[in-house]
Amino acid sequence: MLNYIWAGLIVAALAFAIVSDLRDGASDRFRNHAALPIALEYPEGYREEARRVPVRIRIDAETYQSFYSVDAAPDSVYAGHVLRTQAGARLFFAEHAALPDPLLRIRDFSGGDALEGTLGAENAAAALVATSVRFDPVRFPHLQDITRAAFDFADTAVEIAIGLVGVLALFLGLLKIAEAGGLIRQMARLVEPLLHPLFPAVPKGHPAFAMIVLNLSANVLGLGNAATPLGIKAMEELQTLNPVKDTATNPMVMLLAMNTASVQLVPPALLVAVIGLQVNELIFPIIAVTGASLAVATGTAWLLERAPLWKRSDPNARPAEPTASGEDAP
Amino acid sequence: MTWFRYFIDYFSILVLPLMIVGLPVYGLIRGVKVYEEFVEGAKEGFRVAVMIIPYLVAILFAIGMFRASGAMDFLVETLEPLLGMVGFPPEMLPMAIIRPLTGSGSAAVVADMVAAFGADSILVKMAGVMFGSTETTFYIIAVYFGAVNVKKTRHAVPAGLTADIFAMIFAVYLVQWLFGGA
Repeated sequence: MLNYIWAGLIVAALAFAIVSDLRDGASDRFRNHAALPIALEYPEGYREEARRVPVRIRIDAETYQSFYSVDAAPDSVYAGHVLRTQAGARLFFAEHAALPDPLLRIRDFSGGDALEGTLGAENAAAALVATSVRFDPVRFPHLQDITRAAFDFADTAVEIAIGLVGVLALFLGLLKIAEAGGLIRQMARLVEPLLHPLFPAVPKGHPAFAMIVLNLSANVLGLGNAATPLGIKAMEELQTLNPVKDTATNPMVMLLAMNTASVQLVPPALLVAVIGLQVNELIFPIIAVTGASLAVATGTAWLLERAPLWKRSDPNARPAEPTASGEDAP
Repeated sequence: MTWFRYFIDYFSILVLPLMIVGLPVYGLIRGVKVYEEFVEGAKEGFRVAVMIIPYLVAILFAIGMFRASGAMDFLVETLEPLLGMVGFPPEMLPMAIIRPLTGSGSAAVVADMVAAFGADSILVKMAGVMFGSTETTFYIIAVYFGAVNVKKTRHAVPAGLTADIFAMIFAVYLVQWLFGGA
């Protein structure tokens, strides 16, 4: 299933990027090779032979809208500078200027912080110089976007994983102490009657029960930092019971489903950061929805493990492959 | 409801320090060589994190590409008329699609909605409940199964997504019922 979803995401990304790019190309959205009429305001008493001259760029809103066929309007004036070289004059907008669509897109495509283009002939009239600017052509921007996204997110994934090292080490260390002291076994025996119906494949008194309870409790209290290491530890405990190490067992999927339902009594910090105190009103609906979806998650996992397709792939239902054995944890 | 909120808030603030201090103290009382055991367990931290990397890269780059391609806009455009018929607000669709894929991405969607509709609008309430009551399913699959090197996820994706879809729909109707009418 994940194979198809994963491949589907990638293929869909490529397909949509190409379609969007062709559509943009057909409508000439970026007016490649056409020059946008603008007016430049030079500072008083600037030297004409200077290489770099600061200017104020004026774009007429109506001209802009009809030129790009958009509704977005530019600001009345932008800061920028003109750079004169032997190859001609280039106009630079100030870095990170608040540009309207599609100028923003043109800048993103160029990969720089400042939008730049080739200046046309300048028609001097008093303080205001009428001229035009031709931006560098934008070709297949979406294709470039998805490639860039692939690279960026590969980096992000490593950052996230490495960012987990500290918390993981802390909690795995603490849990080791709890294990050595016998706390985990006691806890497992305590909560086992509650959890056994959902995890019938886990033998009585197995430490996995304690880890599952710790993981779910951390979720309930909104302790995301603690929930992840505890969940991983719970998975490791379940993995010791797994005869086929690369395939998820029924208890593993059950635990995962319970985690994706994410029962919580405390709203996530990220949500509080985004919508502020309004969150207080939402606590009741969040608890209600999350509780109901926990029921749906466990129910679905319970049903699906009985479906013929998943029953066949159950690691505990078939004899362990001889090649996969020999690495059972003690 | 307020006292309950306070109780939970304080409890969740207290539980981590209690655990971090309490477990070593408990170990000492039980005669465990706490330092040695801690280090032994903590050793695993790096190995587990590194183990997750390939799974996380696989999931995140595919999701990142999908988001960057503009496919989301297209999905919203095609599904909008269908949703209108069942009374599901079409404005909620981007949130519903992106929530199981990325946490930071869906937080950004909520932030956009706050800017567009105002923090006390019913749509933002729906988005907030969706955000609070579901998890980033694909990320969880990558991290939890990645840590134990499980590649064949069997019914994990359908079970997780069923719960997500249910939660999205329930969130919309519950908020409508609680705060609607205005």
